[in-house]
Amino acid sequence: MTWILPEGATLRFEGLKEPIQIQRGLGGGSQGQVYAVAIGDEQLALKWYFPACLARDPHLEHRLGDSIRLGAPNNDFLWPMALLRPTPESRQRIQLAEAGFGYLMALRPPGFIGAHAHAGGNLEISLRNVLRASFFLANGFHELHLKGLCYKDISLGNLFLEPTSGRVLICDNDNVDVDGRDLGSVLGTPGFMAPEILLGQARPGASSDLFSLAVLIFRLLTRHDPLKGQLELAIRCLDEPARRRLYGEDPVFIFDPRDPRNRPDPIEHAAALITWPIYPERLKALFEQTFCSGLHQPNRRALTGQWMHAIAQCLDQRVLCPHCQQENFPEPGTPGRCWACGRALPAAVLLQTPVAQVAAAADNSLHPHHFDPVLSHDLHHPLAEVVAHPTDPAILGLTNHSDAPWSADLNDGQRVTVPPGKTCNLSALLRLHTAAGPVEVIR
Amino acid sequence: MPFPNVRLSNRPLHFIYICDCSGSMAAEGKMQALNQAIRQSLPGMAEVARQNPEARVLVRAVSFADRANWHLAEPTPVDQLDWRDLQAGGITAMGEALELVAGQMQSPPMEERALPPVLVLISDGQPTDDFAAGLGALMRQPWAQKAVRLAIAMGHDADLEVLQQFIGPDPLANLPAGEVPGASGQMPRGMAKSPRRPLQASNATALAQYIQWASTAVVGAASMPASRMAGSSREGNIPLPDLPPTLMDPTDDVGPLVW
Repeated sequence: MTWILPEGATLRFEGLKEPIQIQRGLGGGSQGQVYAVAIGDEQLALKWYFPACLARDPHLEHRLGDSIRLGAPNNDFLWPMALLRPTPESRQRIQLAEAGFGYLMALRPPGFIGAHAHAGGNLEISLRNVLRASFFLANGFHELHLKGLCYKDISLGNLFLEPTSGRVLICDNDNVDVDGRDLGSVLGTPGFMAPEILLGQARPGASSDLFSLAVLIFRLLTRHDPLKGQLELAIRCLDEPARRRLYGEDPVFIFDPRDPRNRPDPIEHAAALITWPIYPERLKALFEQTFCSGLHQPNRRALTGQWMHAIAQCLDQRVLCPHCQQENFPEPGTPGRCWACGRALPAAVLLQTPVAQVAAAADNSLHPHHFDPVLSHDLHHPLAEVVAHPTDPAILGLTNHSDAPWSADLNDGQRVTVPPGKTCNLSALLRLHTAAGPVEVIR
Repeated sequence: MPFPNVRLSNRPLHFIYICDCSGSMAAEGKMQALNQAIRQSLPGMAEVARQNPEARVLVRAVSFADRANWHLAEPTPVDQLDWRDLQAGGITAMGEALELVAGQMQSPPMEERALPPVLVLISDGQPTDDFAAGLGALMRQPWAQKAVRLAIAMGHDADLEVLQQFIGPDPLANLPAGEVPGASGQMPRGMAKSPRRPLQASNATALAQYIQWASTAVVGAASMPASRMAGSSREGNIPLPDLPPTLMDPTDDVGPLVW
């Protein structure tokens, strides 16, 4: 790669007291290049734009300035921190006729992997963490939209996942704009763009974000494309006109209950057929809503809050098959069969809070929203987590992640205290009294 | 428990280098420069292939001199590719090379379903055989019509006219230079840079940049839809990415360094 900023050099930028050391190039795309840089002791990333990109997007600087002023919606975004223009002396060290500008952001921490790797089947990740990633993605868009902003160009390319936790990082935030203002040139990425944008009938905004969000969640949960079924098989050369038909002119959801024209092929589209039955009806209904009536009626698309609610509830239903250990999400109160091995799933032990039921399976957790229906869904701050005993995984316990002790009523009438950080054996537990509210164990 | 062992279905993306190995390529280190440029581009190409779950990138190469031959006949996944050096010597059987490629641009041997192939023609001179017949044979094949066809002219003796015929007519030819997408300042021989015109590599650095651009940005665009800008060009069946920006190289104006 030919780097446009001099690696190893120290450059000065307008309005910035300290110089920035350009340490090394990290990567480049069609828009520009990203560098690891240092300001004093602080390690950051710097994106520098190519002239052709700046020429096409005259409002980029304006949008970036607004985003920097407004601040990141939450910590799941790699958000622009400062806009950089070189001082006259430093400009000469940049190998472009027009030096242009760039912006600073945090470095992507290690452990986050491009969502492409998941779609390509090259990532070891649990269903729980894929669902958590989908939740965090919906939550990120929720916070973004609440700020009056829209993203416009979400795709697998700007999402990174931490497979061990399900945490996400939403990158390339330079198309973010005030919703409805339309100070931008980007339309989106075919396959993720809403049909009305692809066909040029509307400009991207929060309601087309909702379509792209649903596509991305579908692709995370199924490793397949919601609009690629039999109609895709009929295409010999998958080029732009073909994509326009598939995603814009005649899009049909592969699981559309009323239009079977685009059903998945058992061999070519096996991923969709294997993964779709895993998920609860409530979650699948949001896809149907967005990809059937919502295809052409943007106001029918599932909202960010609906996704968060449905995904959080799906996680609450999570149990492990006692025969094959695979994760399952049976509807509460129905016995169900394991989607992987086909054997019957026993009724789950449930943790009953004032407003929710959570299955007692290892790694499931209780959050503040399980106690107070007014609180919005948040999976980052668990109050309690179900854990398997380190030496005998058949023994489950409940760990106190809150900052106050619990008092626990046991089966034999005893009452014990569970301090923060400690775990009580679930099989002995009748009910818990926590600062957030009571938890009843239902067997 | 792991996510079920499934993955997005993918399609093959055939990438074929068509390389001039005539005697003139032996002069001034051009052959070595081309071998190096291709070899250096492979890690980046493998990375793009890895990031595109919808594509299986398969590479082949044709060499042409007195005759045209498959230098790399087996469609090879880019991460398994071990580039064997091309050797220069002979005349310029470019037409025969296109006929050779034509034989592969029909189904079978092409798969029933695929992504648009990418054909990259690299030459430093004039065809010495019946170029028109070769191009005619190629363009009768449906997959060749769908292919992204790029041409790189090495040095100043390449026949830009035949390279343009290989690419096909430039739909932007009548636009003022300033409105050509991807034009970034420099206009060799009074023409704007455009991927729909022969790319003129006047030195080894420019050659390496173009080879890298074709093997990464173009492979990316042909295998997976890229982010779309309002007003971006609609020409062709694959929107081509911007050419690499023109770097301010103080040696740019002194003519070829290596050849």
